[in-house]
Amino acid sequence: MIQLLTGIHNTSSALEAERTRLDVIAQNIGNTHTTHDLDGKPYQRRVVIFENELQNAMNANGDNLPAMHVAKIVRDPRPPLRFHDPTNPDADAKGMVSLPNINIHEEMADMISASRTFEANLAVVKNARSMAMQTLAMGRH
Amino acid sequence: MVFARGIIVALFRSEKFMIEALFNQTNYLAAKKTLDVVQLRSEAIANNLANLETPGYQRMDVSADFEKQLAQATAAGDTSQLAALSPTLAADPNAKPSSKDGNTVRLEDELMRMNQNALTHAMETQMVSGTLQKMRLAITGHA
Repeated sequence: MIQLLTGIHNTSSALEAERTRLDVIAQNIGNTHTTHDLDGKPYQRRVVIFENELQNAMNANGDNLPAMHVAKIVRDPRPPLRFHDPTNPDADAKGMVSLPNINIHEEMADMISASRTFEANLAVVKNARSMAMQTLAMGRH
Repeated sequence: MVFARGIIVALFRSEKFMIEALFNQTNYLAAKKTLDVVQLRSEAIANNLANLETPGYQRMDVSADFEKQLAQATAAGDTSQLAALSPTLAADPNAKPSSKDGNTVRLEDELMRMNQNALTHAMETQMVSGTLQKMRLAITGHA
């Protein structure tokens, strides 16, 4: 197949990866107060790890451009936040409750950075499209 | 019979040569090469933006010596030298990492380059279109 929109492979994998990152941030924010994760402990913040992968398909010049994708989603090892709340059913003998290690400001900043990256990649798609349209119109007028 | 065929082949060859000569002007070839570079650079920018958050990623661009070679070939008016030019991508040696993870991509820079590239592309496609149009005018008498 001819490549009308060049470099679009890597852009789409980046869009997908940023989408995953946004999903994970949403999950973190949604679980700010979850004291029982699937393993029964307080929810731990999840972090997306990106990595590069060399595309097997090379471009016309034979250059191998690395595409990024989500390697894994890991747990943030920072300890849970401790609060004093004796009325909470999850409080220990001293009345302390362990809440997830989530800092809402950190998550918001992360979210902005992820959506900026997402937008930048969308701009690439738009740009590639308008360039392809110009190329197709070459010699027509 | 063989002789006739020889004439036809010769005619065909000369016609082919003439048509090739039409498209062998330095400016037209340079415009075509620039379009190649624009396409390659758009690929590089797309890749840089895709790897905006990949730790340790080095931004890529069209190798720096290409533009020098292009300028040289156009200045010399050497069409074969022009046609032989082939731009390649390489990691940008001048890019400095902007964060601790060693990634050298800067969002604003890349977006600027992308817009610049789009503009160059618009200009070059217009150049090529204009050349083709003028040729059509010369052949048919109307555009």
